[in-house]
Amino acid sequence: MFITSLLSGAIQCGTSVLYGIYGETVTERVGVINLGTEGCMVVGALAAYVCTYHTKSPLLGILMAAIGGGVLALLHAILVIGRKANQLATGLTIMFLGLGLTSFLGQQYVSVSIDGLSMIPIPVLSGIPVIGTALFNQDILVYVSYILCPLLCYLLFKTRLGLLLRATGEDEEVVFAYGANPKLLRYIGVVLGGMISAIGGAQLAIAYTHTWIENMTNGRGIIAVALVVLAGYHPKKAMIGAYIFGGAQALQLLLQAQGVHISTFILQMFPYLFTICALFFASRKKVQAMPAELKKIIESSANS
Amino acid sequence: MKKKIWKKLMSVVLCGAMVFSMAGCGNTGGTNSSSEADSSAKTSSEKTDSKKTTVGFIFVGAKDDYGYNQAAYNASVAVEKHFGDQIQVLRQENVPETEEASRALEQMIQKGATVLFPTSYGHLEPAMDVAKKYPDVTFFHQGGLKTMDNLGTYFGTIWQSFYLCGIAAGANTKSNKLGFVASFPIPQVLANINAFELGAKSVNPDATTSVIFTGSWSDPALQTSSANTLIDKGIDVIAQHQDSTKTIVELCEQKGVYCVGDHADASELAPNTWLTGAVWHWDDLFIDMVQTAIDGKFDGSKYDGKYRGGLKEGVVDIAPFGKSVSEDTQKKIEEEKDKMINDDYNPFSDEIKDQKGNIVCKKGQTLTIDEIESMDYLVDGVIGSTK
Amino acid sequence: MKDKTESIKQALLTVLALAVMVVIFGVFLMTQGVNPIQIYGDMIVSTLGNSYGIGQVVVKSSPFIMVAVATAISAKAGLVNVGGEGQLAIGALLATFVAVFVAKSMPGPVGILLMLVAGALGGAVWSGLAGLMKVKAGMNETLTTVIMNYIAYDIVSFFVYGILKDPESFSWPMSPEIADKLRLPEIYVGVSIGIFGAVAVAIVTWLVLKKSACGFRLRVIGGNAEAAKHAGFSVAKIQMAAMLISGAISGIAGMVEIAGVEGRLRTTTGVNYGYYGFLAAWMAWNNPLAAIITSVVIGFLCVAGNVLEQSSGLPSSGTKILMALVLLGILWKGKGRKKCS
Repeated sequence: MFITSLLSGAIQCGTSVLYGIYGETVTERVGVINLGTEGCMVVGALAAYVCTYHTKSPLLGILMAAIGGGVLALLHAILVIGRKANQLATGLTIMFLGLGLTSFLGQQYVSVSIDGLSMIPIPVLSGIPVIGTALFNQDILVYVSYILCPLLCYLLFKTRLGLLLRATGEDEEVVFAYGANPKLLRYIGVVLGGMISAIGGAQLAIAYTHTWIENMTNGRGIIAVALVVLAGYHPKKAMIGAYIFGGAQALQLLLQAQGVHISTFILQMFPYLFTICALFFASRKKVQAMPAELKKIIESSANS
Repeated sequence: MKKKIWKKLMSVVLCGAMVFSMAGCGNTGGTNSSSEADSSAKTSSEKTDSKKTTVGFIFVGAKDDYGYNQAAYNASVAVEKHFGDQIQVLRQENVPETEEASRALEQMIQKGATVLFPTSYGHLEPAMDVAKKYPDVTFFHQGGLKTMDNLGTYFGTIWQSFYLCGIAAGANTKSNKLGFVASFPIPQVLANINAFELGAKSVNPDATTSVIFTGSWSDPALQTSSANTLIDKGIDVIAQHQDSTKTIVELCEQKGVYCVGDHADASELAPNTWLTGAVWHWDDLFIDMVQTAIDGKFDGSKYDGKYRGGLKEGVVDIAPFGKSVSEDTQKKIEEEKDKMINDDYNPFSDEIKDQKGNIVCKKGQTLTIDEIESMDYLVDGVIGSTK
Repeated sequence: MKDKTESIKQALLTVLALAVMVVIFGVFLMTQGVNPIQIYGDMIVSTLGNSYGIGQVVVKSSPFIMVAVATAISAKAGLVNVGGEGQLAIGALLATFVAVFVAKSMPGPVGILLMLVAGALGGAVWSGLAGLMKVKAGMNETLTTVIMNYIAYDIVSFFVYGILKDPESFSWPMSPEIADKLRLPEIYVGVSIGIFGAVAVAIVTWLVLKKSACGFRLRVIGGNAEAAKHAGFSVAKIQMAAMLISGAISGIAGMVEIAGVEGRLRTTTGVNYGYYGFLAAWMAWNNPLAAIITSVVIGFLCVAGNVLEQSSGLPSSGTKILMALVLLGILWKGKGRKKCS
């Protein structure tokens, strides 16, 4: 029972962050860092909520979320790729813009209710003892997040586009040699990343909580950007990062409900402490290094 | 070269237009926007009229959080409506409980404000600094326990409502396990949790209340996770002290556990599982306070000190009962409410023990307002940690 | 000569981009039924039109400047230190500890000095932890500093709800007010000497980075750590030192916030200042002098935002949108003619 609760809590707390990690991984693979992931997520949350409210279709909501997040990421891309603006500063500004715009536009939607996505148990699989209900009695966007992992791996590592995208992040010269345009590829990577992150916001709004309120992502996008490092810039390990974070969150809530005599503030540190521990162990093994172009960006802006 | 600059400029414009169109689209898409807020936006942008009294409100959170801040915000709208052209209203939301609050108040005074409402507990000290500097400005602080010549405090004894909600919860639970999703272990919140547990215990001695502190006033995802955690533990009534209460109320309806609301009536969101909830009625109080200030009668009025309104004064109340609350329970609650209104009954009386067994209220004793509003413990029967 | 016309053109372009953003926001205000000219006028008059307003802009900018300089120092060593937020918080926490428990009975200047040391120490410990994790365990500092911001917030809460709780504030989560003699002296309406400290730190940092051998070494490492290692630099030592100094400066910003502005510690003290400072630093391409300007711009927007909200009746998100637009306008300039070497 405890384990089921914990597992299911880990997935529920971790899924939105997971999308953020997926999105930011794609972005950073093309050599761009987008601290505005938080902004993309919150835009995704509002877009999905508003669209679901008006059209009664959560599917359209998800689509809207992706478009909204993509547009915000495009703005980031225009500034940092087109104008060579500082990536970290632009990202933070994009985050403020996303938070500001959504809380302004979302005011009227705080009080409305929607029919969002609900839990759909997968037959047979959800019957597995202990892990069945935790893993396979979730909403569609959770299942999509499972599938997205191999999908992104395939895209990045098995297709020509993926090869070019990764090459853009590692060495522009190679991309030129292939006769492709690294600028365009960067745009693709950043926008795609924003779209994926935004679905994480949508998951929060229309699947998990069925609520819109300003600033509802509450730092999950920032955490996601940090966890990309833990995931070694690889979608394969994104789940580990997301579920360690989510699992620690679920654990501290469970312990609170048990009435353990530990300060709530110490308990609330759990997700962060666990993440640092996880990074410690991950760093002992050889980690996937930061994409070279990304490294260059950070180093060059440090040295101007 | 020139061409290039134009090209750049064009792209600036395009980019800005993109952002702007996002704003525009969303705005037209909105339904039933509060027209009061819109009209207030217009009136307050007019130049300060010397004959008008300017009244300023600052809120710690968002005005549309569906909770504490919205309750106060709505009252500020009621004040504006009531006095019409007589007053000008200034508002600022999301004012943190730091020197930022002094700044906001000071800036309002520079815009001509003579009556100010810092509406969050933590705005007290910053407000006192400003009040010292401007002895002619009247301050009404929400929830404070310190006062000055030109600064009075007011609050509602919302724990009375939570006590009544506790009765409904205690009567309805089958597992005898109640849950409470709270924000931070501050005195106002602890008092509500304690009152809730005392209410539940008054009709069901076995009832316990498990508390989860989310560390946030409104994080819907954490609220959902917390409520799910409680439900997994076999808890069948969930109360809350959060802004934006909708998330948990809807979740309870979906999961089939009873829910108790906070700040506002949300019964229509959970037709089957709604019990009742604590609600604020600030409007009349706010209007009366502003009137007192306009008339120059603040000194010596009941607001010149620590004013507390409760069920009796109509400042707090409980929301309508849901269909799951039996006739008997409803009668019992009405009786208790009557006792509080007519006999000044206070549930924080007679022997009360805290979690560790210490006696926090002796037999025959009744806790004072100061004692209730500075609670730092949870009573026996509550499962959770205060620190 | 050519260089000059180029830079004028760049400056003009920035002004134009800013103007466009201001106009866009003005149109937005008009759609909300608010007269933009009047609001803009109000915002400028209330911030720059009187001594109180100017003072508040200065007060608000000081911590941003310090965190920005701190961020710049670590950036020069090739480190992305997002932890100004947490370092400031721990600095403020330690400074408050000293003020409440140690310096109460000391003469003012000694107490203040002790608070300063405590603040610097607090910040340095917090950044030093991240530094250690970086140089000893190879743990990415961007991740650790971000995560440690959250931990710092919880630690501050733990103490403010615990042993630092003011016994005279009715169990409310805030520290006792620090003694008047421990407050930094005021030099202007509401402005403490903290601003001098902030500006001095920025100038000294700029000089050291630009002119000294130490600054040179830092830049070599920041530019390419691998190459620096081959050239015989002790990368780990220098990065660690950069982190420690950076954290100490952020910690002092926290101390100034307590001794110069707030007078007591709350869980909300200095929240988001770290991120604004970080933004200011990277907007200025980690040039400490330019960071003063970007910090003041952000400080100005914060203070003017209050007036925007009060005068227009718009929600607080209006301020955020305006701030983002203005900053985007500035960022628009991009890297300009400064090509990376």
